[in-house]
Amino acid sequence: MKVNDFLKSKAFKSVMVLMCIALVAGGLLAILSDVLYVSDQERIERAINTIYGEEISFEELELSDSDKTNEYGSIDNVYLLEDENYLIKATGLHGYKDGTVTVWIVAEYDKAEFLGLKKVVVASYEKQTLMSSFTNDFYKTFYDSKEDVIGGKYFAVTESENNIQNITGGASKSSNAINNAVDSGLYYVRNVIASDGGEI
Amino acid sequence: MTTKRFKQIANDGVIKNNPTLRLVLGTCPTLALSTTAMNGIGMGLAVIFILTCSNAMISMLRKIIPNEVRIPAFILIIAAFVTIVRMVLDKYIPALYESLGVYLPLIVVNCIILGRAESFASKNAVLESAFDGLFTGIGFAIAITLMGIVREALGAGSIFGIHVWDFKMEFFTSAAGAFFVYGLFIAIFNAIYTSVENKQRQKSFLLKLEFASKKEA
Repeated sequence: MKVNDFLKSKAFKSVMVLMCIALVAGGLLAILSDVLYVSDQERIERAINTIYGEEISFEELELSDSDKTNEYGSIDNVYLLEDENYLIKATGLHGYKDGTVTVWIVAEYDKAEFLGLKKVVVASYEKQTLMSSFTNDFYKTFYDSKEDVIGGKYFAVTESENNIQNITGGASKSSNAINNAVDSGLYYVRNVIASDGGEI
Repeated sequence: MTTKRFKQIANDGVIKNNPTLRLVLGTCPTLALSTTAMNGIGMGLAVIFILTCSNAMISMLRKIIPNEVRIPAFILIIAAFVTIVRMVLDKYIPALYESLGVYLPLIVVNCIILGRAESFASKNAVLESAFDGLFTGIGFAIAITLMGIVREALGAGSIFGIHVWDFKMEFFTSAAGAFFVYGLFIAIFNAIYTSVENKQRQKSFLLKLEFASKKEA
């Protein structure tokens, strides 16, 4: 096939049409993505707004490598809020299919004294399929158990001497990951914030 | 475009060829997102926008796009509009963006949108195609919102998030409940549609008979 024949062929026309559509659409989307970009700061403000129901100023705290992981999971971000509470984004391990659950936790403080958990909201999860089974009552357990939380106990699916019993919501492995995420946040509160000057 | 043609397109999109209740297309988002009325209306509005714009664009380019690559070209165009909707929702209505989840990008391969592009927009003028997209989208939006209202009311005791009664049957928010409500909606819609159509047929038959007897007399 000669070059001229190829340039007049249907195959060439097809490729050119598809390329033109892709280029125009790509260009348009590039411009729009710049205009409609949502910054990390904006996403954090949204998360805080969802949890608090109001806008509040905050300061992100730096995490050392040792602070980032613990036996329950990991700490992704920590923010010191204007009202002296801490907002912790923590991930819990050992969910369904070895997946994870990430939660936002509000650790409530009054004059550097830890008062318990104020709110627990799921941020995201991986490989968990029954998350909708966890109703509001499940998360209420975390901030209703203030005495146990201040007393140093951790959450777990089954009851044992050192654990607070937790309802499963029909998906015990996902429940395990949610508990681990909350415990990961509690571990940070008890071992990092407390050693930095906050009281438990 | 004549008024008669406009009415025909509107009737086809919303009633006669309602994508959800008559053609049973776009079943996946219908079942998954009709858990609440707000999700239903959100998805419905997203589909209306994408369907109208993609139909108009495909119709505009129908003489340029070679027949052999029409499907990839349609998908490129639809994907561009879906991405625009995703970015707009993420920026301005993040709660709805979160709740629509994976079903929003999946609109790219939604049977309703590809079906209208292939069967209507690639063969008709721009204005007609845009109206076809608009009314087919409205048909989908009405169906998914009504299903959302019923499922939310019976499953969560609220409508559009507003508490209406204490009665709750979680079955209606489950996958099985989605199939049950969907089946019920299809049955009711088709029963009404068939009965109206039969009445219209009877009426036109009687008119014809009357006309024939007058002619004979």
